[in-house]
Amino acid sequence: MQKEIVIVGLNHRSAPIEVRESVAFENGYVRDALVRLRGYPAVQESVILSTCNRVEVVAAVSDTETACHELKTFLDEQRAGHGASTLEDHLYTFRGADAVRHLFRVAASLDSMVVGEPQILGQLKEFYDAARQAGTVGTVLHRLFHRSFFVAKRVRTETGIASRAVSVSSVAVDLAKRIFDSFDDKNVMLIGAGKMGDLMARQLQRSGVKSLMVTNRTFERAVAVAERIHGSPILFEDFPRYLKMADLVIGCTGSPEILVDAPAVEKVLRERKQQPMFFIDIGDRRNFDSAINDIDNAYLYNIDDLKEVAEENLQERSNEAQKAEEIVVQEVENFGRWIGSLERVPTIAALRAHFDEIRRRELARSLSGNLKDLSSEQRQAMDDMTAAMINKMLHGPISHLKKDAPEEDEEEVRFIAALKKLFDLEGK
Amino acid sequence: MDIILLKATAVLYLLATASFVFYVLVRDTASRLPTLVLLAGFLLHTSALSVHFLQEGYPAVTQFHQALTFKSWLIVALYLVIQIKYRLPVLGAIVTPVAFLMTLAAFAFGAASGELPPGLKTYWLPVHFTLAFLGNAVFALAFAVSLIYLLQERGLKHKKMTALLKRIPSLEALDRLNYQLLVWGFPLMTLGILTGSLLARIYWGDYWTWDPRQISSGIAWLFYGALLHGRITAGLRGKKAAILTMFGFCVVLGYFLWGETLFPSRHGGRFE
Repeated sequence: MQKEIVIVGLNHRSAPIEVRESVAFENGYVRDALVRLRGYPAVQESVILSTCNRVEVVAAVSDTETACHELKTFLDEQRAGHGASTLEDHLYTFRGADAVRHLFRVAASLDSMVVGEPQILGQLKEFYDAARQAGTVGTVLHRLFHRSFFVAKRVRTETGIASRAVSVSSVAVDLAKRIFDSFDDKNVMLIGAGKMGDLMARQLQRSGVKSLMVTNRTFERAVAVAERIHGSPILFEDFPRYLKMADLVIGCTGSPEILVDAPAVEKVLRERKQQPMFFIDIGDRRNFDSAINDIDNAYLYNIDDLKEVAEENLQERSNEAQKAEEIVVQEVENFGRWIGSLERVPTIAALRAHFDEIRRRELARSLSGNLKDLSSEQRQAMDDMTAAMINKMLHGPISHLKKDAPEEDEEEVRFIAALKKLFDLEGK
Repeated sequence: MDIILLKATAVLYLLATASFVFYVLVRDTASRLPTLVLLAGFLLHTSALSVHFLQEGYPAVTQFHQALTFKSWLIVALYLVIQIKYRLPVLGAIVTPVAFLMTLAAFAFGAASGELPPGLKTYWLPVHFTLAFLGNAVFALAFAVSLIYLLQERGLKHKKMTALLKRIPSLEALDRLNYQLLVWGFPLMTLGILTGSLLARIYWGDYWTWDPRQISSGIAWLFYGALLHGRITAGLRGKKAAILTMFGFCVVLGYFLWGETLFPSRHGGRFE
């Protein structure tokens, strides 16, 4: 039976954050949901993607109409208890080549909020693995996802789309690289336990900073965060004393007051003999005095500055994105060809089964009729002989079917249709 | 012969300038081509100076135009050394056009006064000008590095993020290089002045004669000395240090170009 690829879901463009959050799978845990999906008869294969910007079900289905309906119901149920309003307005549905194109664009980070951000590919791989472990991935999705990883790689190497910092934290790292020559002798101080700060501290850690200090008004939270990101917790009252050791200071608290003001920075800079300091203010409110940026050897970027830089990069990358779209178009075509060839596989199997059935029936009749005196060796020989005969007869048509047609040309389609009709293979 | 070589050098410096500008500012991609063209120019330049030395039996440094081209040779040599260690094509984009203009200017001024007075042909003279010129060349590069520092610094303060700024070295690296140049330049300058006063003793009768050249060198020396002191002890660095470095070189350059027309000196190799 022919499978079609279907994607039902919502993303940052189709749904506001509250809606996305209400559908999202907690901590990306999708195993139970995948098991539930197996209960839907029209859905044969499925992978669930759930990130902060999108929740989508990618499925290979037998009956598209029914499956789309089932998938929508599935997402609605997922949302049960969160809100009464219907999800329908926020959902999009892609089928066939459109679905393939959509997944390729997602993998290549063309559909991301910040186009080109590299995280999405890793997330995609994780969700694909989860589905594989849950046993909901078959031939079609296996091929589809591996193809999408390949497309992402092609886009990354062949276009400049990933060469520019795209997320707020990678913009910050890029900026830090313009201030500091090497990170391995630099200390980072993280003030506050916000998620954004956590993310940025990790990114800096990956870039190889020497050490990380973490402070928070509630010391327990500082300890928890420090443990998570392998930093050392310090008491909130103590952080001004440690400030002179910090080359990069990340402020990420919800505090409405200024935590570090300009005179304090001037004093600290004198203490550290004017070694440059980089302040990154990414809290909900301003944590650092904006006058800090006017001090020599101190650089202050807040979340809006970082976003603006990311935005600028985005603008400059529009050409690159265009190139990437072209790659996606090519790859969708390639994939379509593969799906087309897949259609022949059932035809081949059906053709073989049809002839084999006739053979067995006739053989059984003869062996129980006028050939019933044959010895078991002779019976076996008859069986082998008839099987070989059928194979020889079918060799021509089957090898023709197996040949990868260069294009989905009309003759090919008619040929398959004719075979099905002549041997009454439809519905078998 | 050396004039032909020098002309070829100028052409190569021009080509190097064009390729530096093209690769660094326009195309914004890394390429070895500009450096290789510059290296070719440098080798020609070296041969031009060698030919002159072999023909005349004395280095080509005693006249203003000769001093100019000798300085450009030193600057290019220093840049090539820095390029190997730091990979700073942006610095090349600044230094190479300067070297080209200096070589070109040498042709414009031509030979003015004839022969070097026979009495000046001592061994101390080549030692003196080599040290003094090297010091100058180091400070010229420090000037350019400071300029790049200010470019990067300004970009960061004004939250600009261009591809060029991303490829310029970090503030930390530029500041360190700037400091190293000062550390090398200052002793060279000191030795230049010391050998100079030794020559003054030989030809003018006293180590210190209040000659305008000696006074201006003394001022520049004090300035750079204070800068170095501030850097080592008072944590003077970054933007302020860069601005002061540039200012110091302006003093040196300003005197080299105009000083001696205003305050005539007995010193050789001046602009006439």
